[in-house]
Amino acid sequence: MNAAGMNILVLRLGFYVAVAAPFVAVALAEHAFLVQVAIGIAVSAILALAWDILSRTGQVSLGHAAFFGMGGYGSALLTPVLGPVLGWIAGLLLCGAVAVLLGAVTLRLRRLYFTIATLSFSLSIQVFILVTPDLTGGSTGIMPPVLAGGSPPHQLLFITGCLVAAAAVSDVFLGSRFRPAFFMIRNNPHLAAASGVPVTRLKILAFAVSGMVAGLAGACYAGLYGYVIPDDVFTTNWNVLPLAVTILGGMDTTLGPVVGAVALRLLEEVARHFVGGVGYQVVYGAVIILFIVGMPAGLVGFARGLLRRRKATERPDGAKARLAS
Amino acid sequence: MSGLRIEGCTVAFGGLRAIDNVTLAIPEGTITALIGPNGSGKSTFVNMVSGQIPPAAGRILLGGGAITGLRPDRIVHRGLARTYQVPKVPKELTIEEVISVPLRYARSDRPLPPGVRSAADLARYCGLRPAGGTRCGQLSVSDLRRLEIARALACRPDVLLLDESMAGLSLEDTEQVIALVREIHAAGVTVLVIEHVMRIIATLCRHAIVLNQGRLLAEGEPQRVLTDPDVREAYLGKGFTL
Repeated sequence: MNAAGMNILVLRLGFYVAVAAPFVAVALAEHAFLVQVAIGIAVSAILALAWDILSRTGQVSLGHAAFFGMGGYGSALLTPVLGPVLGWIAGLLLCGAVAVLLGAVTLRLRRLYFTIATLSFSLSIQVFILVTPDLTGGSTGIMPPVLAGGSPPHQLLFITGCLVAAAAVSDVFLGSRFRPAFFMIRNNPHLAAASGVPVTRLKILAFAVSGMVAGLAGACYAGLYGYVIPDDVFTTNWNVLPLAVTILGGMDTTLGPVVGAVALRLLEEVARHFVGGVGYQVVYGAVIILFIVGMPAGLVGFARGLLRRRKATERPDGAKARLAS
Repeated sequence: MSGLRIEGCTVAFGGLRAIDNVTLAIPEGTITALIGPNGSGKSTFVNMVSGQIPPAAGRILLGGGAITGLRPDRIVHRGLARTYQVPKVPKELTIEEVISVPLRYARSDRPLPPGVRSAADLARYCGLRPAGGTRCGQLSVSDLRRLEIARALACRPDVLLLDESMAGLSLEDTEQVIALVREIHAAGVTVLVIEHVMRIIATLCRHAIVLNQGRLLAEGEPQRVLTDPDVREAYLGKGFTL
């Protein structure tokens, strides 16, 4: 590996350590409430990373609850058969396989039609669970093996590991091999095809990877309490959450979904504290809308814009300094 | 027979035959002009050859092999690249990133232009300044056109279709793009230029094809074709003279 590649690798590893550090610190402090908050944030962040990977190809999904739930159900039902490691892998592969099949049909649809297709898919998966009680437990739910012996701090450490893995996957798709091609597909699929890009194949790849990462989030979630009913995982909340988190934090980045997950949870807690009851959800929704209007690039995009502007104002001084010397 | 051959191709939109049973050849190693009045089917022709709109009938041969009905990216792999008249490139990508896409995905063992090794080299070859990570959102129209040519060249084509690459450019920019097209041709690429401006065609091409209402109207040397009474009538209507 050359020096530049080495530098990038060190930077990336540093980034992952920085992302994981606060979660690990909370786990080590064993603060019961903060551990639960951190677990919630990490699961949301993994799901949001999954959603963002797909959105880079221009596909807006409103059905990621389907993969979230399938990951949870798949890993839970396959672990007793295959053991924990293979059970999880098989659960995630199931998500990937379903995404490939679904993608082969729906990714030929344009924009809004694709979004509607994903939404209906997530609804039909929920119905599928309800009508197959012998296979999936139906409405009574299932009892997945509990993660990390049911110790929340240990669960948090494990899920933080999953978050770092999801971040690494996200970074692969922000590298030179995929990022420009994905953005070209999103912006102008004809131009991408005219550049030799196998458009449909890359879209299906993004969908499969996105489905598997969403399944990872679901598998983590299902393993928290040892009990999952369809209403826990196949709800609109998990369909909308990754979109809200990513837009709040910043699309097309790895940091954005993580920051967005923290910000959304913070917002939720603040709203709950000051408004209370159910009313907090209205305030919380309104604040999200304000953010989307005021900061369309998200928190990370906004911060980058500030940095770029600062650099731009610094540059004339630099030029002056060079002239003076 | 190499180069590009179109045999009896038809593209219909509902009842309208945008390309109507066209047969023509673009010989290897030439710069050929494709001209015709607005709505004559020039853009549809490019979309048909590049695979974006497959023909309902007929055959398209590239270097002797049929490419009819292949996906656009496969046609690129076979050695045919095109530019878009109004290139919509992702604003957030840099010049180098756009060029890097075909460099990576357009599998080809054909050589890049002489002295060109990287996306940045190719950008400079086409008269762009890639330094400083310029994003496409900041480019002028003439630079976007150059970027389109660079992107198409990065496909390492045998045959290059330029869809009005010089439309709306200043005189100076036009001269530079003409010089660039000559250089691309000299490096061994067969070029089809879709153009409106007769002066450009007369200076650049030895062979011209005229389409009118989706049909082949005339073919031959530009000087002869441009003085053809049928061509004049198609452009100006009956009774006018140039």
